[in-house]
Amino acid sequence: MAAAALCPSPPLLCPQLTGRRPVLPELRAACAEVVGRLLGDDPELVVIVGPAAATGTWDPGSRLDLSAFAPAIPGAGTGAAPLALGLGAMLLDQAGYGGPRRLQAIGQDEPASACAKLGAELAGSGARTALLVMGDGSARRTSKAPGYLDPRAAGFDAAVERAIRAGDLAALLELDQALARDLMATGRPAWQVLAGAMPAPAPATEVLYCDDPFGVAYLVAHLRPR
Amino acid sequence: MTARVLRLGRHAFEPDRLLVMAIVNRTPDSFYQPGVTWDPAAAMERVHVVVAEGADIVDIGGVPARPGDEVEVSEEIRRTVPFIAAVRDAYPDLVISADTWRHEVAREACGAGADLINDTWGGWDARLAEVAAEFGAGLVCSHAGGLPPRTRPFRVAYADVVDDVRRGTLALADRAVQAGVEAARILIDPAHDFGKNTWHSLEITRRLAELTATGWPVLVSLSNKDFVGEALDAPLDERVAGTLAATAVSAWLGARVFRVHQVRETRHVLSMVSAIRGDTPPALAVRGLA
Repeated sequence: MAAAALCPSPPLLCPQLTGRRPVLPELRAACAEVVGRLLGDDPELVVIVGPAAATGTWDPGSRLDLSAFAPAIPGAGTGAAPLALGLGAMLLDQAGYGGPRRLQAIGQDEPASACAKLGAELAGSGARTALLVMGDGSARRTSKAPGYLDPRAAGFDAAVERAIRAGDLAALLELDQALARDLMATGRPAWQVLAGAMPAPAPATEVLYCDDPFGVAYLVAHLRPR
Repeated sequence: MTARVLRLGRHAFEPDRLLVMAIVNRTPDSFYQPGVTWDPAAAMERVHVVVAEGADIVDIGGVPARPGDEVEVSEEIRRTVPFIAAVRDAYPDLVISADTWRHEVAREACGAGADLINDTWGGWDARLAEVAAEFGAGLVCSHAGGLPPRTRPFRVAYADVVDDVRRGTLALADRAVQAGVEAARILIDPAHDFGKNTWHSLEITRRLAELTATGWPVLVSLSNKDFVGEALDAPLDERVAGTLAATAVSAWLGARVFRVHQVRETRHVLSMVSAIRGDTPPALAVRGLA
């Protein structure tokens, strides 16, 4: 495995969905930078990993259907990618990447073991495979958050951040699946795929963005095997 | 389908009558001017004012739409039902609407004199329709995209939001008829911002004619909502003009009931739309005619 990048997957990453004013330019810049670093390693294949209703791969040509979120924008037609994968594809497009890509969905209800197994398979697919992992922390961090305030959110997200900063990805496999669902933390299965793809030794990690401007935890990070 | 007479309480409203439903919140924490009618005397004063300003309906609610402290059924009843009874005493002919999604509350409210159950949460409690049928009350059938009451939309996506609204509200209206609610007392409401982002709310406004074409009377609740705020980048206290613009467009496209905070301004807008449509003659026309 070459390296991995971690990005969140809110629809508002897409400039066409957020209206005239720039929204979260720091977050978008961090995503662009981490994808740039990922591609800087000249990977043979970029695998986009993101949570979806069920595990499976999507046509590499599929994209996010913006019309599902903003009906005034023309639709992408049938076969549109799920949100997280579509946003990952968008980030690669924005970076000008035209090389091979795989769109890998991981089911929202997959247990940690299945996620880790998939990660190991992906990592084994080639020395120069790069992972773009799309996942979000809790959407219940404040009373204005989409899911309102859940006092457990702060601790959950802090554990994820700690694991990423320390490169202690095994800790991600310990995340409680039911708690993650309660907290609307959609990234849980994708992070566990990442953990399966980067077993010991701990990767070198750098966090480029970690904040919750709308009450949802967004984390952007770069991870490189040692 | 052609538009039909709408029956509310003792009244029968022809399709060209545009009705103003005034919001009276019996809550300390609703999003717009929180707590302004929390005090019972202030709430009754608000009723006097909105009736004088031309409200056809008062909509009395005891639980804010947004998430927050749990309001138990008993507390919701305590907040709304005695007040509904007091309004009924003061105004025997006024149409009173109970803003609730819970059948237990609706039952008490109808017993106290409510004529209409305004369920903003898309039939979450299926027994609401039974209560409406039991009391001969009306029912608002709305679309909340399947969200549970008092939750916010999170990355909601629709293949076609207007189609989803149309199917959802028509299914609820059919269910209500099956339950015994008089068809002439049923309205549908696309429920702007409920289970919808701003683009979705703008789309249902733009394509409202697809809902009014169903023949069911359409209620719209636009007042000072976030889709107005995001469209204009306007904070809560600067959304009246945007609300009124959406009101005019909705009236033009056939909406018949308008749930609002600003009664007088809404009445003017609706009267103007009626005049433009030719449904009502000007109040006075002498200019150039002397």
